[in-house]
Amino acid sequence: MDDQVNPDQSSPQVPPAGPGERPARGRPAASLIHRNAGGSAEPESLIFDVRGLRVFYGSFQAVSDATLPIREHEITALIGPSGCGKTTVLRCFNRMNDLIEGARVEGTIRYHGVDIYGEKVDPVEVRRRIGMVFQKPNPFPKSIYDNIAFGPRIAGYKGDMDDLVQESLTRAALWDEVKDKLRQPAYALSGGQQQRLCIARAIATSPDVLLMDEPCSSLDPIATLRIEELMIQLKRDYSIVIVTHNMQQAARVSDRTAFFTVDVKEAGMRTGRLVEFDTTDVIFTNPRQKQTEDYITGRFG
Amino acid sequence: MTDDSRPPSEIRHRFEAELDGIKRSAVALGSLVLENAGRLSEALLENRLDLAQQAIDADEQVDRAYVDLERRIFKVIALQQPVAGDLRLLISVIRIVHEIERSGDLVVNCAKGILRQQGFRLASQLRGLLARLCREALDQFARGIDSVASLDPEAGLRLDREDDTVDSLVGEFYVLLASEAEGMHVDTAIELSRVGRYMERIADHAVNIGEHVAFAVTGIFPRHGEIDEQ
Repeated sequence: MDDQVNPDQSSPQVPPAGPGERPARGRPAASLIHRNAGGSAEPESLIFDVRGLRVFYGSFQAVSDATLPIREHEITALIGPSGCGKTTVLRCFNRMNDLIEGARVEGTIRYHGVDIYGEKVDPVEVRRRIGMVFQKPNPFPKSIYDNIAFGPRIAGYKGDMDDLVQESLTRAALWDEVKDKLRQPAYALSGGQQQRLCIARAIATSPDVLLMDEPCSSLDPIATLRIEELMIQLKRDYSIVIVTHNMQQAARVSDRTAFFTVDVKEAGMRTGRLVEFDTTDVIFTNPRQKQTEDYITGRFG
Repeated sequence: MTDDSRPPSEIRHRFEAELDGIKRSAVALGSLVLENAGRLSEALLENRLDLAQQAIDADEQVDRAYVDLERRIFKVIALQQPVAGDLRLLISVIRIVHEIERSGDLVVNCAKGILRQQGFRLASQLRGLLARLCREALDQFARGIDSVASLDPEAGLRLDREDDTVDSLVGEFYVLLASEAEGMHVDTAIELSRVGRYMERIADHAVNIGEHVAFAVTGIFPRHGEIDEQ
């Protein structure tokens, strides 16, 4: 699934919703729901409690039965070969798969205890709370300032926009580099700066989770390191789930790592499967599963 | 897995061959020290000063092989960025070769003592006990090297228990040496007590080697657990 063209590349990363002031970060998910849907309480530290997740595209099963408790204020890395379903799983966390025709999600994903696929949940609000950063930096063809202000403006943000822009850019470690050229087009920035701009744009709508789909795959090692450092700073305020093909990156930045593989069934059906989920330390020093060890040590195929 | 995700296996095979080569070289280094220790043992018990000198001379080869092996391991870590079992093996071998090299130095120290004393003329009881001590210590060292060759964590951990035999023989040796020291020159008695100490240390290095093997295979380092509990 990783190779699929992202249908949302050109649209806002975090479709803004909800009227008025910026909501506080890290608030429980009650605002996701139009009316109280009665989500059961979950352990405080879990941002996502994923149980028995199965994803289908029509009759094709992309992911089988993944159970994955994702903790708050941690960086969780999803790794595995192409087609293992890691990007598909990532997209389930903010209901991006809803945008793909024929996609069906079974099992539960509780976000702060609320089933995000529950009937009363507003998927647009889910995507505002749970922001996404894509593989390729995708700024809008607007100024740096307007890239940040776009989402909050649509959401009817009534605070001081200049402050919000500065705060978002500062959090994304970009302010010092762009503060004197906020009205310049975003496309004038380097790739690494564009990606940090996209992170700033995601932050501007006050999510408490950032999903990152190979955010450094188009960047050089220096820009990559800056994003990695930024991720580590950001986890104080946000929870981060990152899909990466770069195992050193997963090892460097993440607290926990989930390894997915792909099972080839009859008629060539390929279904992603979660093999092992543990602290990154265990995964890269002493994984429990041979399949994990074979993959991370390069003994695949 | 898609077909293009199957990498050409050449690079990986080369890496695996290098890991295997490093392990074999560590075993070869251990065999070299063991062979030298055998020479020393004969020099000690048979008053063979020529063998003592050979043991000293052969250490240069041990040192060179040790340095080569350390460089190889360092290079593999830098270039291949190994993780999990591969990383544990390399970290363990780098520790193991250090234990082996130190054991080689102890053999040399002992050989130098023989030359200083122009050989030891030992009463038969003391000689018999020293012969047993050397045999047990060198057997222990050989088992340590075997555990590297087989990467058998059980065999590695058994060495700690087996070390009691060497420790009690060293104790017996000291007691007997003390009782016979009156008839000896003081230098000889000191030199002999050092020999006992060197043999004990060689056996201790074998225990450490066994622990490194256990870590390489299981990811658990026995001594870390002991320290954590304290």
